Amino acid sequence: MSDAPPPKSVSRFEANLLRILRFFLKPGPADQGLRHIHERLERPKCLSATAVELIRDSLAKGCVLYLARVGGWKRDRFLRDGKPNFGRLWERSPVEKLTLTFSKYAVDFLMWLTAHRPKEDRPTWTADIGELTPADQLLLFLTYDALRSDADLAATLRSSSPFGDNALLWLAHPNDFAGEVHARVPTFGMWLTEPGSFILEAMQPVLENRWLEIERTKGQIGDWAQLNQQGMIQGRVIEAFTHAVNAAGRRDLARFLLAVMSRVLASPDMPATFWTGGLQGAGPPRLAERVETQRNALVVLRAADRFRTWEREARASGYLDDDYAASKFWLGECERFDFNTIADRAQRVLQQVEPLRIN
Amino acid sequence: MSRAYRIRVKEAVTKELSASDEVCADLEVLEILPGDQMAGLLAGQLKARGFTERDGKLLRSQDGVTVSVDPATGEVSVKTEKQEQVDLKTEKEGWGYDDIGPQAQHVRKQLSEQAKQELERRAEKQQERLQGEATEQLEKVLGHVRKELSDAVNAVTREALKQKAAQLGQIKEISEDPEAGSLTIKVEV
Repeated sequence: MSDAPPPKSVSRFEANLLRILRFFLKPGPADQGLRHIHERLERPKCLSATAVELIRDSLAKGCVLYLARVGGWKRDRFLRDGKPNFGRLWERSPVEKLTLTFSKYAVDFLMWLTAHRPKEDRPTWTADIGELTPADQLLLFLTYDALRSDADLAATLRSSSPFGDNALLWLAHPNDFAGEVHARVPTFGMWLTEPGSFILEAMQPVLENRWLEIERTKGQIGDWAQLNQQGMIQGRVIEAFTHAVNAAGRRDLARFLLAVMSRVLASPDMPATFWTGGLQGAGPPRLAERVETQRNALVVLRAADRFRTWEREARASGYLDDDYAASKFWLGECERFDFNTIADRAQRVLQQVEPLRIN
Repeated sequence: MSRAYRIRVKEAVTKELSASDEVCADLEVLEILPGDQMAGLLAGQLKARGFTERDGKLLRSQDGVTVSVDPATGEVSVKTEKQEQVDLKTEKEGWGYDDIGPQAQHVRKQLSEQAKQELERRAEKQQERLQGEATEQLEKVLGHVRKELSDAVNAVTREALKQKAAQLGQIKEISEDPEAGSLTIKVEV
């Protein structure tokens, strides 16, 4: 006879909430999670202790498992106090420093999502972004990631401040903000200090794959305005992010951009049409606008200029300089990705869309 | 028995149309000498090609095409501008049951509105045509400007190399092959 404890009992609302949460954290089935998101249930005044315990358990295990799976497991090199540190994420930093802390807003958000139909019910859930912890924002990122295939729902979520001002969301899905050209790129400060930086380290492969996907699908965009806006937003994100990582002494966190360039420019003779070949029709009447669209389409390649500057600065760093170890590390990264070759290839592609090529 | 009146409305409009197009780029000037000296050499080359200096930039305007070069930063802009005054006229005709009463006024107002809308559409077409002309002119001159600026940059590079060589030692021999674009300087140090 088995001595297994009896299954824990929760209310229907709590059960739905847990299914939704597990859907976001990936192990739960998508159909169940999505079905419960589109249901409307009366929100209870509070949750039972059992439900809270299960939510805590799911968040703790689910978020850590997600980060470990997407990239935390990789033996990689990142900066710690200005010096490179090698190993898996939990080997690079003591485990007690890797703690994720969720605020009351995480549970409040899950309760709102379970009680409402997010696409229809107004006002949407909101919270002061300044009070959200990196772990809360990671949960919101996972929520958005799971729901963004529904364009209307994704747009509704983006209209709420905790999503629209979530820098991780901007970094992973810049093209989703392409229609919101006047929106301000949020500050990346939270993600450049611990524990946010640990999350960003683990998510490097996610960011690399997302940006690679964006670059590889640009050639299928037929609308000039769409390609222009997408490039503009990407450019603003790159500008804000590279500026922030440089100021924080964490250039290593921009490595995914280096990797994207390396993969996109793997072939020595990439034509600019790889990015702009899908454009339909003659485009805007003014040459200036057509050139701007084509330049914006190649905005990721322009980041090579920034990295070249970093490389020059790194070469100039002397043994007695504070940033010597970090500079050597960056030079190592450049060598690893054969940056000089990539930068030359990027330059050649960029030149192709310049109507006034003067050398 | 009622009688129909033919009502005729004339509208005319004079519009000042303007269209422009512009392409910007950066000149890649090798830093053989310090930046200010390279800028000075570039300015000299451009002045010899008809550019005039204004607010630190070198400008040349010809047939509605303005080429502007900032010798310090290497920023280049080529801009075409076109302006045109168009006189547009139209006449609309309709029918009314009186020639001075409220019904006639109503018909006149309608015809006037129609005429104004047509003039607006025609003005927009003229604007599109002018914009097309400005863009076409820009596309035509780009090749020429590109070649001219490339020549200027090459001349600056040659001159800078000669000056640099003179700083290194005594120049013994200089041979240039404009066809191949090569320059050989022998220096005794």
